[in-house]
Amino acid sequence: MLQRPRFQMAAKALILLALALFLYTRLADGTLFFYINQRFMLYTVLAVVGLVVVAISYRAANNHPDDAHSHHAVTWGGLALVLLPVVLGVLVPPQPLGAAAIGNREIAVSSQPRNVLPAAVRAAAQKDATDRNLLDWLNAFSASSNAAQEFAGQPVDVIGFVYHDERLADDQVLISRFIVSCCVADANVVTMVVRWPDAATLENDAWVRVQGVLEPGAFNGAPLPVVAAQSITPVAMPEQPYLYP
Amino acid sequence: MFIERPDAAPNVAATPTPNPRTRWLRWALTALLALAALIAIFYDAFVNGDGLPYLYQRVQTFVTIFLGIFIEAAPFLLAGAIVSGLIAVFVDQSAIDRHLPKAALPGALIGGVMGVVFPVCECGVVPVVRRLYEKGLPLSIGIAFLLAAPVVNPVVILSTYSAFGWGPIFVGRIVFSFLIAVVVGLIFSRAKPEEVLLPSVCQAHQDACCHVHDHHHHAPAPLGRRFAQAFTLAGDDFLDMARYLIAGSMLAAAMQTLVPQSALLAVGQGPVISVVVMQALAFVLSVCSTVDAFLALAFAGAFTTGAVIAFLVFGPMVDIKSSLMFLGVFQRRAVGYLIVLPLVLSLLMGVWWNLNLGW
Repeated sequence: MLQRPRFQMAAKALILLALALFLYTRLADGTLFFYINQRFMLYTVLAVVGLVVVAISYRAANNHPDDAHSHHAVTWGGLALVLLPVVLGVLVPPQPLGAAAIGNREIAVSSQPRNVLPAAVRAAAQKDATDRNLLDWLNAFSASSNAAQEFAGQPVDVIGFVYHDERLADDQVLISRFIVSCCVADANVVTMVVRWPDAATLENDAWVRVQGVLEPGAFNGAPLPVVAAQSITPVAMPEQPYLYP
Repeated sequence: MFIERPDAAPNVAATPTPNPRTRWLRWALTALLALAALIAIFYDAFVNGDGLPYLYQRVQTFVTIFLGIFIEAAPFLLAGAIVSGLIAVFVDQSAIDRHLPKAALPGALIGGVMGVVFPVCECGVVPVVRRLYEKGLPLSIGIAFLLAAPVVNPVVILSTYSAFGWGPIFVGRIVFSFLIAVVVGLIFSRAKPEEVLLPSVCQAHQDACCHVHDHHHHAPAPLGRRFAQAFTLAGDDFLDMARYLIAGSMLAAAMQTLVPQSALLAVGQGPVISVVVMQALAFVLSVCSTVDAFLALAFAGAFTTGAVIAFLVFGPMVDIKSSLMFLGVFQRRAVGYLIVLPLVLSLLMGVWWNLNLGW
C-alpha cells in the first residue's frame, strides 16, 4: 500500500501538515518561547506557511502524477522518525529548562571572567538599579574589577527560579534565569546568590521575585556581590522564561 | 586517498547488501551503544539522582533541547529545500556546464565564495548541494560550497562582526573557513563521484554531466504547474533530510543531557588541549552558524584565541546534526572524510594560531 504513488503523496502531505499544525499550536499558546529566542519567531511563522504551501502542492501534483517521479520514497520507518517531534511534543508537556538542566551547564556568577558585548555593559550601566534583570546585573559586575565592594548597598529587584547548589550555605540559594541566544541548545545560566533565612523552605524551580540589597560575599571561594533579601514573593512564570542577550 | 582502497572500488554504485557477518556486527554495535546509553541514564538517575522523578525531569530536559534544535533548524531546512526544488525545475543543467569552471582549483575557489550568493546556514546548504550535484555540479565546487557557505555569507559575517567587532577573531574565522573549505574541496577533486556520492544522487549526477539523457525534460509546462512541481520536490527533499536532522538533534540533545559541559571545560587550557575541547564542544552543541558567534563570546575570556577560532570555524562545517545530514548526500566513507579533514585542519590552524600569534 505504501508503494502506491497516490498514497505516497497523501502521506507526505499529511506529515507536512502535521508538522505545520504542531508548530502553529506552539506559536499560538506561547510555548514556542520555551524552545527558541523570540527574535526567531518570524522564521517559525514562515515555516508554518511554507509547510502548508508545500503540502498543498502535493494536491496539485496529484493531478499530474508523472510530475512527481521522485527517487525519495517514504518508508514506514522514515515516516515514524519525521513524526517524532510531534509525538514527543504531545506526550511530554512543554516545560522550559529549569533546575534539572542547571547541573549540566556552566553557572555564570559574577566571579567568573566573562566576555560580554560592550554595548550590553553600557546598557546595563544606564539602567536604574531596580530595573536591572539578572543578566544586566551580571553584565554590570563583569565591567568591574572589584564588584563585591563596588556594588554593595545597591537595591536589587529581580525575578528568577530557585536552585539549591550544594556549595551554598543553609541560608543561601541561587536565583537563576537561562540565557538563550538561538535555541535552548545554547542555553547558559545567569545566577545571583541570595541570602535569606528561610532559604531551605524554597523549592527548586519555584519562580520568585527577590527584593533586597547587595552586600559583599563569596561563592565557591571567589568574592562577589550577594543579595541580602528583604522579601521573596512567589510569582507566576514569566511569559518568556528565558532572557536574551 | 579514495583510490588507496581497491576492495571498495568495484561495486560502490550497487545498493548496500551487507553480508550476514557485517550485519551481525552492526546490530551488535547498535545494541552495545543502546545498552551503554541505558546504563548511563539509569546510573545517572538512581545513583547520582533520586530515582524516577529525577529521571522524568531529565527526559523533559532532553525533549525541550531536542525540540529546540528541531524548531530552530526546521525553517532553514525548509528554505534550503525550496531553493533546491526551484533549482531542480528552473535551472538548466547546461548553465552549470557553461558558467562554472571544470578545473579543480578555480572550482574550489568559486565554491568557497558561493555562499555570498546563497546565504544559507549549515542546515539549508545540504539539500541545495544535493540538488546541484544532481544537476552535474563538479565535486570540488560542491564540497567547498558545503563547508564554506555556513560562514562565508552575509548573515553570519554580520553576526560575527556584531559579537567580536573588527579583529583577529572576525578575520581569522572568515579567512580560515574559506581556506579549509577550499583545501578539502581540492582533496575531494581527486575522487570519483561514484566513490563519494550516494548511488541515487550519483546516477543523476552522471546523467547530467555526461548528457546521457535529460532527467527532467523541460517541455514548456505552464508556470503555475512548474512552481507546483518545484514545491513538491521541495517537500520530498525536506522530508528526506528531516530524518537526518531529527536523528542528529536527538543525538545532540542526548549528549547535552548526559555529558556535563563542565566535564569538557575542565579538561584543560593548554595551546593544544583547549582547541580540542572547543572543537568537541562545537560538535556536541550543534548550534546554528548564524548565532554561534554570540555563544563563543561567552567562552572568549576563558579560552585561547586559537580555540575560539577553531570553535567558530569547525562548528559550522561539522557538528552532530550536520554530519548526520551529510549521510543523505554522501557515502559513509566520504562523510568520514568530511568530518575528519575539517577537524584536523582546524585543529592545526588553532594550534598554529596559539603558538605563533600568542594566546
